[in-house]
Amino acid sequence: MWVDEDLTLEGLGTAVAPTRTRRRGAGAGAAAAWVRDRLATTPGRLVLLEILVVLGGVFVGAIAIGAEQSPERAAKSARSQTEPLLVQAKNLYTSLSDANATVAAGMLSGGVETAQKRNRYLNDLATASGALSTLTREAGTAGNAPAALGTIADELPMYSGLIETARANNRLGYPVGAAYLRQAALLMTSRLLPAADRLYTIESERLDSDYRTGTATSALVTFAAASAVELILLLLVQLYVTRISRRILNVPMVVATVAVAGASVWGIVGLLSAQNSLQTAQRNGSDPVEALSAATVLVSRAQGDLSLTLVNRGTDVIDPLDFARVRGVLERPGGLIAEISVLARRTGTTVAAQRFDAGYAAYQAKAHQLTTRESNGRLKAAIAIAPQASAISERLSRELGQQIDAAQGRFTRAARDATSSLAGLEFAIPLITVLATVLTLIGLRQRINEYR
Amino acid sequence: MRHPLRHLLGLALVAVALCGCGSTSDHALQLTLSALATPVAKAPSSPSEPTVKCNNLKASLRPPAILPAPNHMPAGSFMAKIQKQGYIVAGVDPGLYKFAYLNPATGNIEGFEIGLVRELAKAIFNNPNAIRLVALTVPERLPFVQQNKVDIDVDAITINCYRRTQVDFSTVYYDAQQRLLVRAGSSVTSIGGLAHKRVCATAGSQPIQVMDAMPESDRPDPVPMPQAIDCLVALQQGTVAGISTDSSILLGFKAQDPNGTKFVGPSIGDVPYGMAISKAHPDFVRFVNGVLAELERDGTWERLQAYWLGHFGPLQAPPAAQYDG
Repeated sequence: MWVDEDLTLEGLGTAVAPTRTRRRGAGAGAAAAWVRDRLATTPGRLVLLEILVVLGGVFVGAIAIGAEQSPERAAKSARSQTEPLLVQAKNLYTSLSDANATVAAGMLSGGVETAQKRNRYLNDLATASGALSTLTREAGTAGNAPAALGTIADELPMYSGLIETARANNRLGYPVGAAYLRQAALLMTSRLLPAADRLYTIESERLDSDYRTGTATSALVTFAAASAVELILLLLVQLYVTRISRRILNVPMVVATVAVAGASVWGIVGLLSAQNSLQTAQRNGSDPVEALSAATVLVSRAQGDLSLTLVNRGTDVIDPLDFARVRGVLERPGGLIAEISVLARRTGTTVAAQRFDAGYAAYQAKAHQLTTRESNGRLKAAIAIAPQASAISERLSRELGQQIDAAQGRFTRAARDATSSLAGLEFAIPLITVLATVLTLIGLRQRINEYR
Repeated sequence: MRHPLRHLLGLALVAVALCGCGSTSDHALQLTLSALATPVAKAPSSPSEPTVKCNNLKASLRPPAILPAPNHMPAGSFMAKIQKQGYIVAGVDPGLYKFAYLNPATGNIEGFEIGLVRELAKAIFNNPNAIRLVALTVPERLPFVQQNKVDIDVDAITINCYRRTQVDFSTVYYDAQQRLLVRAGSSVTSIGGLAHKRVCATAGSQPIQVMDAMPESDRPDPVPMPQAIDCLVALQQGTVAGISTDSSILLGFKAQDPNGTKFVGPSIGDVPYGMAISKAHPDFVRFVNGVLAELERDGTWERLQAYWLGHFGPLQAPPAAQYDG
């Protein structure tokens, strides 16, 4: 009947939708009738159970796979993408600020910088360029990264041009060299370092987002719930089958239940262990990497301020102010140095942290001695100890670099543990779900066949 | 079969508890990012000086008839205190090439003004090296003199009526002129040729006020820089058409770029320099004026000028001392 009706309506060119609803309604009616027919007999009910088992297996299996893959992808991304990019952003940031500090210290040493200072500056520029090209290739477009990368790519050559002009004038003994250096330093602190800071923030937030996804409780809860639903379904099917037959055990279904239970435990233990490892990677690995990198940048900034104070002395009020400001950020209660020692206690690296504290105290003592001499009108005596302050600063950044490498090692190990805890699960979960479903169907088929 | 289920729920609860400690990592991240984002310090803006009128701007206290011999300063005088201290503390500006500048090759502050400070030390100690030089920023100059943090300020400081209400000045030790420096290839011949062009000067300085006071039709577009030397960078980079400031400063600029720059036009104004001394020590003002008069009389002043400033400009006669008390 409804075939004719359909043709009529199509011929009239009016709305087709109501017809479809009607057809679906008719189909649903037919399906309901079919289900009612099946519910009437025991074998019919067993067929319905078969369908329920298949649908449940597909549905629950899909949810379980999704729950397992979200932390797995996050862990893999943290390990092989976002954390390595954060390291590149850190390299860019620390090498730029170190270049600025090195070049300012170099200009203090009698007009011509030492070969060591020159090489350090050139190495910094090379590191910055390398990190810049890696980030340009891989950082993507998140958080306006291309604009920040563009700023650095455009203005780093301008910076090095100003530095070379400063050097040339400085060699001739011209004070305009110091003005070029100041202009370069201003370009660095007002344009290049803020762009590096933006990139660093973008990368650290991307890594943080991986950590959030990777350690989300929801993944574990979803997986556990899906496992529980599948197990309960299997248990209920077995209870029913036991009730309608004289047999207590249905071997295929017991095997299916054991397999699902095993996979559930495997998955939950794997997820727990992966999330635990990922949290270790964050807490013992990248947290210290971030705090120590920030300390490296700020120590270089303080050293740059100190050198520029002497280079520009008499005309410069900004650099001593900035030096005091950086000092405050490092030293205040709950500041960066306090955070580093908290992290050191967490990671069992208090010896290295204490060595940094001692080195930093020595640096501040030397800086104090230097600024006291300078403000007492003993500029030459102040400049005479500037290389010592610079040497302590360089030692601090070298030791911070070693600590960063150690933290990076802890990150790599824990991130590897996180991904390996989940290894195999992405294949095991669908395999076991299919296996359990097939075994349950076999078990049900045995009962259904008894009625033929 | 219920027990594994309960076990699984237990594990899930453990997981919830574990993930609760993520907040410390957020704290570490936020602390790190905010520490890195510490903005770079900015220079505080220096208040502009009030306009004051006065007579006899260049006049100072009359020196004693006979100067005390070195190392024999009169008891109770400020000079005796300096003698006891063992050195004279002078505030200076080390950014003026050949006038007073930090020589990168020696690490010493050197120049014409430093030569004068050494002569003062010679008059007190018979030792030109008994000096301590303190580099001062422009806003530091007058307070450092008033608070006796320096004995004297020899800082290319222009005598003006307002400053005379704050400190005492010696007689004029160098009479600078406001001049105009342009690029060597420029066709400009005077400040009038730079109407509506960018002209650089030190922020808050006299030349900026002079340019602002010019009639609209000839007025250059003043570009203030925090330091005079930044103007030379701007001129070399071609972002300004000229620099208008004290001849003492411009002579140093020309010396650093002899082939790339030239002076054009006449003097735009008189810029007399005096040494600043606390109003509490008129005896020292008289002593310094006596030493300056002696240096001008015996040719030391001209020798210093020729040694430091003779390479790159016409020499001038020592300024005539004026006294009013």
